[in-house]
This record gives sequence, C-alpha cells and structure tokens, in this order.
Amino acid sequence: MQPCSREMQGINSLLNPSSQIPLQDLQNQQIQNSHFDPNSSSNDDFLEQMLSAIPPSCSWPDLKSPWDLSMPINSNGNGNSAAKPRDLPDETDNTNVGFHNNFDESVILASKLRQHQISGGGSGAAAAAAKMMLHPQFLMASARGGLPQNDVIDVSSFKGGDGSIQELFNGFGAGSMNGTGQASSQSMQHFNHPQGGAMPAQNFGAQVAATTALMNQPQPSGSNGGAPAQPRQRVRARRGQATDPHSIAERLRRERIAERMKALQELVPNANKADKASMLDEIIDYVKFLQLQVKVLSMSRLGGGAAAVAPLVADMSSEAGGDCIQAGAKGGSLARPSNGSQTARTNDSSLTVTEHQVAKLMEEDMGSAMQYLQGKGLCLMPISLATAISTATCHSRSPAINNHHHPLLQPNGEGPTSPSMSVLTVQSATMGNVGGDGGAAKDAASVSKP
Amino acid sequence: MTTKHGIGTTHTRSIKNRFARRFLRSLLKMKRSNRLGTGFQSDEEIRKRNTQRIKTAADRSMARVVGPRKIWSRALLFKLRNRARIQVGLRKRCLVSKKKKVLRKEKKVQVISREPNRADNLRKLVPGGDSMDICCLLEETAHYIKCLATQVKVMQSIADLYST
Repeated sequence: MQPCSREMQGINSLLNPSSQIPLQDLQNQQIQNSHFDPNSSSNDDFLEQMLSAIPPSCSWPDLKSPWDLSMPINSNGNGNSAAKPRDLPDETDNTNVGFHNNFDESVILASKLRQHQISGGGSGAAAAAAKMMLHPQFLMASARGGLPQNDVIDVSSFKGGDGSIQELFNGFGAGSMNGTGQASSQSMQHFNHPQGGAMPAQNFGAQVAATTALMNQPQPSGSNGGAPAQPRQRVRARRGQATDPHSIAERLRRERIAERMKALQELVPNANKADKASMLDEIIDYVKFLQLQVKVLSMSRLGGGAAAVAPLVADMSSEAGGDCIQAGAKGGSLARPSNGSQTARTNDSSLTVTEHQVAKLMEEDMGSAMQYLQGKGLCLMPISLATAISTATCHSRSPAINNHHHPLLQPNGEGPTSPSMSVLTVQSATMGNVGGDGGAAKDAASVSKP
Repeated sequence: MTTKHGIGTTHTRSIKNRFARRFLRSLLKMKRSNRLGTGFQSDEEIRKRNTQRIKTAADRSMARVVGPRKIWSRALLFKLRNRARIQVGLRKRCLVSKKKKVLRKEKKVQVISREPNRADNLRKLVPGGDSMDICCLLEETAHYIKCLATQVKVMQSIADLYST
C-alpha cells in the first residue's frame, strides 16, 4: 500500500486530524476486506452511531451496480454531474472486479447514509460525508495501485483550477442545499460518479476539493443558525469561502479575539455595548480613568500618610494575612493625632484659599475649575452629602479633624470612604463637564457626573 | 473579588495582599529618605516629587508582584529602571545621546507597521503594548485592568485610613 499511503497523507493533511483515526480504521478494514460493522474501534463516535443506526435490512436491489446508481441520481438534477467525465477505466478485469467488490460496500454505505440523513438529523452529516468521502477515495487509491499517479495529492493540486472545481463550488453555493440532508445527498451523488473508474489525477483533486468544500459548507448552515454542530470539527468555513488554511486560521484568530473581548467586558463596568469598536473605546476610557485615579491617589497621600505607615507595617508583618489594613487602623490612629492637628490646620488655610480660587474659576468656566480641583486632589459635593459622609465616618477619626470639615470642599483622602466618591472626582475632572444632575444641591456646589 | 475564572486565572486577593505589603514597605522607605534628604527644596517641589515617587513606587511594586510573567509588567519595570537611569544621567552628566540610546533600546526589535488601528490608543496606555498583536493586547489589557483596580483599591483604603 505504499503508493496509497502518500495520498492518504495528503488527504489527511487537508482534513482534520481527528478524522485520521477513522481513516486508519477504514484502511485496516479495507486491508482485511471485512465488513464494516466491527469497525467500532474508531474514536469517532458518530461513525459507530451511524453504522449502528443504519437499518440492517438495506435496500440491496437498489444498488446493483455503480452505473445504475449514478444514473437515477444524475437525473435528479444536478447539472454539475454532467461536467464530470465518467470514463470507464481501462483497467484489467482483476482490478475492476476487486474494485467492484470494495465499491459495493462503499456504495451501500453511501446510500445508507443518504437515507439516514434524509430520515434523521444531520448534525454530523458533514462528518459522515467526510468519512464517506475518505472511504471511496481510499478505494480508488487502493484500486489504482498500478495507475500512473504523477503527484501526491497535496494542497496545491486541488487548487489547480479546474473548470469542474468552479462549477462544483458554484453549484454548492447556488443554494440547492436547503438542508444538510440534501447537501450530503448531493455529495453522495458526486462521489458516486468517480467511483466508476479511475479518474484522472485532476478530477481526483477536484473531487477532494469538492468534498472538502462540501464537508465544510453544510457546517456553516448549522453554525450560522446558532450552536455549532460539532465543536471538535475545526475545518469550518462560511459559505462561499475557500477552505484554505488561511481563512481557517483567520477564523480561529477572530474567535480568540472575541473570547478576550468577552472577558474584558466582564471587567469593565458599563460594558453592555454590542459593538466591538465602542467596546474598545470603553476599555480605553476605563484604563485612562484607572491610571488617573492612581495619580490622584498618589497626590492626595502626601504629608501625614507616609508618617503613619510605620505602625501599620509592623502590624502587617506580624499578621498572617487577610484584611491587614483594617487591623492596623487601631495602631495607626494613635499616631495620627500627633501630626493630624498640624496638617489639619495647614489644610484648613489652604482650603480657604483654594475655595476662593475655585469660586472664581467656577464663574468663568466649570471645566477649568474641575481641573484645578483635580490638580489639588479635591472634589465637589453637595453639602447634604458631605454632612452625611462626615457623620458616618466621624467615629473612626479624631474629633479635632471634624471641626475643620469644610462644607464646600473636602480633601479627597478624608471624605470619601468608598471609591465611588473619588470616582466622581476623577471622572468630573476627566470629562470636564458639569452634568448638573448631582442631586439636591443647596449651594452652587454640585456633584458632576459624566 | 477573589478568584476570577477566565483566561488568566490569578488570585486577586493574593495580588492585593502582596501589593499592599510591598507598597507600604516602599512608602516607609520613602518616608525615611524624606526625613534625611529634604530641606533645600520648596514645599511645592517636595510635594510634586513625593507624588511622582509614590506613583512610581506603586507601579513598581505592582509590577514586581505580578512578576515577569506578563508582558506589561516586564515593560513597566524596564521603563521604570530606564527612567531612573535617565534621571541619574541627566543630573550627573546631561548627556542627551545616552537618553536617546536608552529610548531606542526600549523599542522592541520586532517592527510592526500597521495602518492606524483602533487599538492604537490602547497600545499607548498599556505598558509594552507596542509590540503585541491584538490578541495578546486584549489579554494583557484584561490583566492590567485587574491589577490597576486592585492598586486603586489598596491605595484608596490606605488614603482613607491615614491621610487627613
């Protein structure tokens, strides 16, 4: 079987590696020339299922000879079949007979498959079609041991543009496939024809192309409809597209990108955009916002922050893990009042100055006022909200600081305990607009939301 | 958020803890160096310098916690190291040529010339994003966003507790 093995390799290189296993099983089977039924050792479940599902009482009288089979099929109305030359081989009788022996079984299987598909669901129809395709081709290969075969069937050979290939593609794309059943029936017809004899190498290649295309094309009708039929099957292409590895790789790449975009969608808030471009914009904005938040936070933590870190670090090193920061709060609060009062006073004076400046800016342009605030690490909030927050958080802070709460302006580090407040700060700075829907504002102060 | 199942399954809580520890340690170091080496600069400059230092400390500790496993962390560490080197070089010798050399080194060897893509802005934002294809870029962006969010959370809680 040496000359055939190369062809098999070529075919295998075209198709899915998962189909190599049933191919080898078929090969073994052919060598033994045994019946198909014990071929359940293959890993492909569908082949078993198909074989077991096929009613044992097949319609034998239908399958007298390959020619009889092909004739009525041809009359069913596939114009492309006419293009295929059905040349009888100039072979010796031995090979012909041997070929016929093998051929009968394949034809039987083909017709059985057709019936099976017309009757039942064709979810794996294309896979079955693949196997069917492999089988008779293997038959031809085995029968044609002595024929001059110029080249191995590699990828280039079936791209050698035959007119028949184009016709086949056109025929498939023309929409005569209303369903997978019909498509596979057509495939049966098509490679029943070449079974008649030794096709020249070109047609062999064309047939390989056709059946691979056919195998692909029933798939997208399922994949376009919704859930893909067999998630294992990698050779999948849209209608009308060539089945070259480039488009397959592209499709894989696109799937990977879609996967990553979905993962990003979970991370980014407000990510209900269906469009990929707007999703990208959201992601970009969110990354910018997070970086800005880091910057603002690093600005607001000057002065007393670094001084009070020491007890916290000592506590953290002694603890195992978990919420170490809160555990260190008790230790930290002791250190704070010592420098808290100093910084509070300085903050207060700077706050009044800042307040006047902001009031001046607000008269001219809200955006610049916001930017100025952002540069200082401050935010605007309604007085009601400010008082609410201060009363809520006053228990954890020394009372001296509370007296210095300015109603209008609050330093970023003190007031907001939740990230949402600083979010408002930073967002207002980035967006530079005053939404005006900040809620009940007694004064001119309002929380701006983007 | 504890464990995130997805493409990069990393334990966010452990990242948070490790980052918090490292960051606090670096803050402590900064405080000590502040005590030693200040006095000759005005308050505003000191504040600006501290801002920059805190930010770089945060970025560097985050990158170290993530480790060299991710492209963006490697690129970030590289950039921070070169920035320090540039600053030292400028202060000592003011050699512009050296800066150019270092900057050229930052660009990866792989030359990718594309038409202006939508993701170009994203590449600018994510450190090391210039030398990644879209697929890797999206993956790195997801991890980067996660780490940035934990960084913000930790810094925010520290600020809430300790600033005035």
